Amino acid sequence: MNRVVLIAGILITVALVLVLSAGLGKDPQHIESPLIGKQAPDFALQAVGTHETIDLAKFRGKPLVVNFWATWCRPCYEEHPVLVSNAQMMQGQVQFLGVVFQDKEEKIQGFLNERGSAYPTLVDDAGKTAIAYGVGGVPETFFLNKDGKVVAKFEGPIDPDSLQQNIRKAMTQ
Amino acid sequence: MTSSLGRLLILLSLLVSTTGAVLGYAAGWKKSADGLKWARRFAFTFSLLMIGATLVMEYALISHDFSVGYVAQVGSRDVPLWVTLVSLWSSLEGSILFWGFILAAYIAGATWLTRNEHIEYMPYAIGTWLFSGSFFSFLIAGPASPFQTVANPPMDGPGPNPLLQNHVLMAIHPPFLYLGYVGMTIPFGFATAALLRGRLGQSFLRPLRNSLLLPWIFLTIAIMLGGWWAYEVLGWGGYWAWDPVENASLLPWLTATAALHSALVMERRGSLKGWTVTLVQASFLLTILGTFMTRSGVFNSVHSFTQSSIGPTILVFLAVILIGSVTLLALRIDSLESDSRFEGPLSREGFFLINNLLFVLFTFTVLIGTVFPLVVEALKGKQMSVGRPYFDSMVVPIGAVLLFILGVGPALPWGRASKEQAKRALLPPLIGATIVAGIGLALGVRNPWTIITLAFGGYAAQVTLGQMWLPVVQRIRRGDSAGHAIIDSQLVRGRRRFGSYLIHAGAVIVIVAIAVSSTMRTQQEVRLNRGESATVGGYTFTFTGTDVKQEPHRTSTLAHFDVTKNGRQVAQLAPRMNQYAAMRDPLGTPDVHTTLKGDIYLSIMNIEGDAVGVNVILTPMVGWIWWAVLLMGAGGIVALIPGSRAVALQARSESPVIQGDEVGAN
Repeated sequence: MNRVVLIAGILITVALVLVLSAGLGKDPQHIESPLIGKQAPDFALQAVGTHETIDLAKFRGKPLVVNFWATWCRPCYEEHPVLVSNAQMMQGQVQFLGVVFQDKEEKIQGFLNERGSAYPTLVDDAGKTAIAYGVGGVPETFFLNKDGKVVAKFEGPIDPDSLQQNIRKAMTQ
Repeated sequence: MTSSLGRLLILLSLLVSTTGAVLGYAAGWKKSADGLKWARRFAFTFSLLMIGATLVMEYALISHDFSVGYVAQVGSRDVPLWVTLVSLWSSLEGSILFWGFILAAYIAGATWLTRNEHIEYMPYAIGTWLFSGSFFSFLIAGPASPFQTVANPPMDGPGPNPLLQNHVLMAIHPPFLYLGYVGMTIPFGFATAALLRGRLGQSFLRPLRNSLLLPWIFLTIAIMLGGWWAYEVLGWGGYWAWDPVENASLLPWLTATAALHSALVMERRGSLKGWTVTLVQASFLLTILGTFMTRSGVFNSVHSFTQSSIGPTILVFLAVILIGSVTLLALRIDSLESDSRFEGPLSREGFFLINNLLFVLFTFTVLIGTVFPLVVEALKGKQMSVGRPYFDSMVVPIGAVLLFILGVGPALPWGRASKEQAKRALLPPLIGATIVAGIGLALGVRNPWTIITLAFGGYAAQVTLGQMWLPVVQRIRRGDSAGHAIIDSQLVRGRRRFGSYLIHAGAVIVIVAIAVSSTMRTQQEVRLNRGESATVGGYTFTFTGTDVKQEPHRTSTLAHFDVTKNGRQVAQLAPRMNQYAAMRDPLGTPDVHTTLKGDIYLSIMNIEGDAVGVNVILTPMVGWIWWAVLLMGAGGIVALIPGSRAVALQARSESPVIQGDEVGAN
């Protein structure tokens, strides 16, 4: 029995297996948001259609769902009905906001005409707001509590369960 | 119906491989000749079943049988036939089946080739191969089954990942990679058998080395093809990004390369047996680690398959073979070693040892860089990534020293060299070093690492060519005709030697080309309206317009460019943007004009109306990498072609330079 080989081998085995198993079950594309627990960056953007400037601060006092999307993003088509139906269902309790990233207003208008809308959609023309929120790709959805603090972030097309779960977080935290 | 047939074949192969593995180990334990005979039969049966199952899947893909789960997932009526054929390995489940297919072919081949030989080791080797076979059968039967039945088959499917349809290299790179990866199972079986037997006889070195060399050839070419594909398809103009999965393919290559060298010392000197066996075990373990990396969803990479549940299963398998290998090595490594004197650092074996240590250091450097983000995340909960700066700053010096060793090592004789001998061997190649570094300086190379690489490359090239042609020169001096001398000493008797130096020559070119292409690149992003020109690195690029090409599975917009230099046309390039039905973002395909001097590479960033944004990249010597790797592959094949044993022995005793020391060695 060669002790050196045994000990070195076992050390490498244990270390490797531990490290690899620690990585299991995680999504490597998921990026933690440093904004969580912090005040959400403010923005004032023009709404599609009305051209009214909408200020984030105006919604203080209500939990907020801020959804970053674009018409060129296919998964955004998937989640759109989920967002619209939940916004309609929770009207008065939760405010939804869409922020469209790197897109053209006429395309956004076409999208909304065809697929319906239930909340203000804002144009993030230069992408400044998306940068402030650290958006890594669309769609991405942020959940703010009534004080304007970010409580959760969701990457990818959101499903009804995750949406409700995160809204509950925003209502209670 | 097709699904059921596939499932049945896989269940049978699971049964046969498990039984065969147990039988093989039992036959080895009992030293039973009948047991070995049966283990062989089980090995062939397993191979037939697994190959049958793969053919069933290919049939389902070609006939667009969407009632088969995997076909519904990756099949499409719109894609060309070649895409349908290669869909087999385009997604997780199929790729595991493909692994099983290659494994089956290897096992059948290795079992057949060793039918009359090495009876004392073979039962254990076959047992080990079939143990691996049973694991992959299990994966295909359960956690990663491609043969699920679809209750309501769709009329059509989405087709495979568009990235894989974008270039024909995708049809070639994965098979080579699998031939390299999976092939490591065979030497692993041999090495495990040697450990279980507690001895490694001289006659068993040949199958061990050859079974390692064959997958090594495939893996070498596969790594290059992967880089080439990335270069031709991804559009950023590079061929290597230290992506976890690229690293996964490099790791077993590094240990296998080390093992091929230490096997030579083992053959000449009878030493380093335990070490060589360890490297062979490590090469196989690293292929399984690579499989885990691509398929567990733990690493973020362009290669990753979708998140899947087979990660834990592969990890358990990895842990089991790691523990098994470590235990076996600890128990038996001492009984393999024969005592042999170490001749001091100034000898060929001294440099083999340094070469081995460097390759192992290289392996650990890459391995640590790859898994480090996981360690940090597990310990600190913070996300991070290890990028190019780490790898470059670690690997460039190691690579440079390896190139130096590649020059010095073969110049030295086996056994202790006298000062006089060393001087005679080591001084002349300084001419080559000076010439090549001088040419580089004259052509404008200023990066110190690149100059060092050029000097080492020139040194190594002179030694390699000198060694390669030495037998021919010696024979011509003895009065042989040139033609006869070349054919006989390079291709008949000294094939292994000649092949090895071809590999070295290729490796020198690859390292130099990597150094030059990565430090001498020119890149510029330009925006052009139709009819406008821009000049980059002496070349003038004129955007002449776009046109649109419709294919069933994609729509491509081509941007046409005229490339001129000093008023003369050099090339016409048409990089394209492809919009696939199944993908949200368009996917670019760069267009490349390759010459001996370097590449002109155009990649579209965006097209809007009559304007195009294009990335112009000029990279010197990049094509040399692909060609030189093919030379390495050719060298490997030359070295692999079996010769009669008598010829091999003769060739060895005829090896020049070392004739004086040879007596002591044999």
